[in-house]
Amino acid sequence: MITNTLNDGQLVALYLNGNEGGFEVLIERHQARIFTSIHLIVKDRYIAEDLRQETFIKALNTINAGRYNDEGKFQPWIMRIAHNLAIDHFRKNKRFPCIVMEDGSNIFNTLEFSEAPYETIQEQKDTKNKLLAFIQELPEVQREVLVMRHYMEMSFQDIAESTGVSINTALGRMRYALINLRKKMIKNKNAYDQNIYPK
Amino acid sequence: MPMTKTFTQNDLIRYLYDETSLEEAREIQLAILCNGSLQEEYNNLNATKLMLDELLETGTSSSLQSSRSKV
Repeated sequence: MITNTLNDGQLVALYLNGNEGGFEVLIERHQARIFTSIHLIVKDRYIAEDLRQETFIKALNTINAGRYNDEGKFQPWIMRIAHNLAIDHFRKNKRFPCIVMEDGSNIFNTLEFSEAPYETIQEQKDTKNKLLAFIQELPEVQREVLVMRHYMEMSFQDIAESTGVSINTALGRMRYALINLRKKMIKNKNAYDQNIYPK
Repeated sequence: MPMTKTFTQNDLIRYLYDETSLEEAREIQLAILCNGSLQEEYNNLNATKLMLDELLETGTSSSLQSSRSKV
């Protein structure tokens, strides 16, 4: 059994030495960040799942072909693959819009089956959907930095380089993204409270 | 009274995302303790950051199973 104490580089080395469990731990470790980053770009959870799968397959093919040489920086490398796939998909499909709900989700993604109490699931889902929608409402430059820093875990320096701005601009955009999100959540909460407890 | 350095709002963002040196982090922590408005701003930013973590989700397991089967 492989423990979670091994770092990414050690897990890649383990996989290259014939232990497939090494890559399975990498999937477990990074799949949530990859899924969420892609989901925020393509705005459709099923497409995000497909692209996450494609990300891991692409990574595997590169490793299997002996072309992985990222000096132990597995996470930024695989996040770049995910980001590129998501952006490619987004660009390709811009001409073929799907039906998107008010909260930004695809209309076909609303069906879900679960054994947890309906109210709890609904409340959690509502909060998440609102937050997703608020992120989509952010100015593009703020949303971009937020996804890259928070979900893809890129450093502000890397973000500045890949978006062609100064590090201070990247930091400022992140700050405004967080401030704007907070304002939107507070405004939403107040509107909700006034509906439930009208004055 | 301890001397505290002045920090920009961007420094606070770097601190929030663990991108400061140990020394800088200590100084910012001190500044947050001594400055009420900085403390409030940090708390607000941190609360929003924590909220963003709630969006981290895995999707369904079927596509992951499929990725694993390729290993």
